[in-house]
Amino acid sequence: MTAAVVTSALSKRYGATAALAPLTLSVGAGQVFGLIGPNGAGKTTFMRLLLDIIRPSGGSVRVLGEDPRRGGAPLRRRVGYLPGELRLESRARASELLEHYARISGPVRPGATERLAERLQLDLGQQVGKLSKGNKQKVGLVQAFMHRPELLVLDEPTSGLDPLVQKEFLALVREAKEAGQTVILSSHVLSEIEAAADRVAVLHKGELVRVGALAELRASQRRRLRATVAASTALEGALSSLERVSAVSVVERGAEAQLSLLVEGDVDALVKALARFEVRDLLIEEPELEETIIGYYRGEPS
Amino acid sequence: MNLLRRELRESRRATWAWALGVVAAVLLYMPFYPNVGGSEMMETYLRMFSPEVARLFGLDQMASGAGYAQATYFGLMGFVLLAIAATGWGSRSVAGAEASGALELTVAHGVTRWQVVLEAVIALLARVGVLSLAGSVTIWALNGPAQLNLTVGNLAAVTTALFLLTSVVGAAALLGGAVSGRPGVSTATGAFVAVGAYAANGLAGLAGVPWLARLSPFYWAFGQDPLTSGWHVGGLLALLAAFTLLVLASGWVLARRDLGT
Repeated sequence: MTAAVVTSALSKRYGATAALAPLTLSVGAGQVFGLIGPNGAGKTTFMRLLLDIIRPSGGSVRVLGEDPRRGGAPLRRRVGYLPGELRLESRARASELLEHYARISGPVRPGATERLAERLQLDLGQQVGKLSKGNKQKVGLVQAFMHRPELLVLDEPTSGLDPLVQKEFLALVREAKEAGQTVILSSHVLSEIEAAADRVAVLHKGELVRVGALAELRASQRRRLRATVAASTALEGALSSLERVSAVSVVERGAEAQLSLLVEGDVDALVKALARFEVRDLLIEEPELEETIIGYYRGEPS
Repeated sequence: MNLLRRELRESRRATWAWALGVVAAVLLYMPFYPNVGGSEMMETYLRMFSPEVARLFGLDQMASGAGYAQATYFGLMGFVLLAIAATGWGSRSVAGAEASGALELTVAHGVTRWQVVLEAVIALLARVGVLSLAGSVTIWALNGPAQLNLTVGNLAAVTTALFLLTSVVGAAALLGGAVSGRPGVSTATGAFVAVGAYAANGLAGLAGVPWLARLSPFYWAFGQDPLTSGWHVGGLLALLAAFTLLVLASGWVLARRDLGT
């Protein structure tokens, strides 16, 4: 498989701060590639380097086979980009602004803009400056998708979108993949993009913590389990002895016990151990990224 | 020319508002020439100032229609209004767009940084041109009624001078923005050039350093009194050269630096 994006020791420094430590990775053509990490992890820096908005301090990058700087405007016509901080201030209507972006990007098929707007429930007749954050985000998504670019670079695409529109967005990503387009998208919440991404890179403070298939990552994820259980003296012992379970806390309240713990990967053994008690409520929460993947791979306490 | 088209469309209202302001300034001054210029009252008034101060504000020329139009409009209100407008546009088109994040999205498309600068410059010239014409056409319409006795050739010469001078101010703001990416710095650069040019021209005589005036774009534009004496190609070429340099520097810098950081 050919690669849509290849970087070799690509780095970006601002004075003494490394916004991106030397990063070597490859995104295959036709893949949906997720970038995960908290704010300041280097996701935006990486994406801006692909679009030649900023220039590398070291290393090299190839986008669709070309150096972004030398590829210039013709290369960028083959890419669709959604900036992370999209602030659209204009008195123009959404349709006018999108016509403008259509003229300065790759050719847009007739009706493509309208179809995208309809799917994302965007009213093209509204003034852009008066749109809500979520609707501005939709304008951003439409301009990124409308010319069916070979590569889509989407920085926090789901931010500000309500769940229904998020779902439609994920459908757009799936269709892009089916059409052979490559998609790179970022998020600070894994769940927002896990339905779409084939591979995921985890970034933290400018460094690549891990890159791999989503299933591998999920297997090593730590989740928090909370349960209300009928009080039992055997509870704490039964759970603490399990492998891959940590931070067990049991607070008794009369006849009930509030249970809280962290479980890593497979929950089967834990659920079976719990089943021996009377479970009145059970909640397994998706972890915050900070306290799970990153903490785990760096051996930091969560 | 898509960026140009969009820039002009976005600032259409502002351009008309500025043009109305310029026309209003002309209407505020010119009709009073018969009452003020060359009247006895004016001569009494003039005696209140030292010759240097009178020259600074062009008061010594007030006796002719051309001198009056130069002192009140081209060398003062017109210059101030157009310089402010040009600074605003020069600042908005690059630094303003960068600060708002719009520039990041624009250059992620099929346009080059040079294109961003050049189309911003053409948009600047078009709008400053509209304002220059709005003022001068109004003056020409009042030429007879206000007994200004201007010739159309001289009026064209001084209009060109004002147009180029304020375009230089706008281009300075553009360069400030191209270098810094910050609207404040950009506006300050334009304001500095406008005020500096005006002050260097006016105060050089008072301060006893007449050569200082020759460094001022304001002097290049108006030093030879084009409204009285017609076209002076040297000064206009100097303005054009300064403008070109500012534009080239803006493009060169913007093409080389990181955006929005």
